Amino acid sequence: MSFEEFQNRARLFVVGALDPDEMAEFENARHEFGEKAEAFIAECYSLSEAFALSLKPAKASDQIKARLMEMVKNRQAH
Amino acid sequence: MEGIQREESKALSQLYDRYNGILKALVLRVIHNEAEADDLLQEIFMEIWNQAKNFSAQRGKPLGWMVTLARRRAIDGLRKKQAYARAEERLQHETEQQPDAWIHNSTEEEILDGDRRVLIRRVIGMLPPAQEQAIELAFFRGMSQREIAAKTNTPLGTVKTRLELGLKKIYDGLKELRDEL
Repeated sequence: MSFEEFQNRARLFVVGALDPDEMAEFENARHEFGEKAEAFIAECYSLSEAFALSLKPAKASDQIKARLMEMVKNRQAH
Repeated sequence: MEGIQREESKALSQLYDRYNGILKALVLRVIHNEAEADDLLQEIFMEIWNQAKNFSAQRGKPLGWMVTLARRRAIDGLRKKQAYARAEERLQHETEQQPDAWIHNSTEEEILDGDRRVLIRRVIGMLPPAQEQAIELAFFRGMSQREIAAKTNTPLGTVKTRLELGLKKIYDGLKELRDEL
């Protein structure tokens, strides 16, 4: 696989669109390209960030944060 | 994120305040149910707390990691709760009423804001509709390339090309915008 093909697959990978039968080949190429591959994948996460940031933020229920912090507090107590 | 890795609950509180709106919007976009989205949001932040040790800044920014985690949980939630059919029906209804809701629903006020959301939407909005649809179905619906091909009556190879071209255009567009974002 060329690095350009790897880049195409990497973009599919980070948005969850890489088919399972392509995954093994992708992982092999990832291993082969090493640090260069990891650096490119890290950059590709800007895509999933952008899709989330393209949405208008939604307001969560006020109770959610209180429940979350209570759960964390309980977990820390044990 | 470093504070969360040190198990400081104050750090989680700050992270929640900063990102809950973005992550809730993402979950809501997938699951289309306010109450279920709130429940999932709580689970997602709990997972962020539990999994924070696995986060590595070398592998990307915290938001990218959180979005990936939130998307996966939202899609799992959608499937587990067997709300898929209902969501599909709702989405179909919404799509009929607002065909390009993802990209073109900015209000006049939002456009005037000139914020990063508008800039990102401009980048996404430059895609041909077929590429935009393929990405929408993959990212927000968790569909595989085969499922997209079946849903859109399109050859699998064409779906793959649409996804690859569309993602490359967005990636390149975001790189050009990097200084403005």
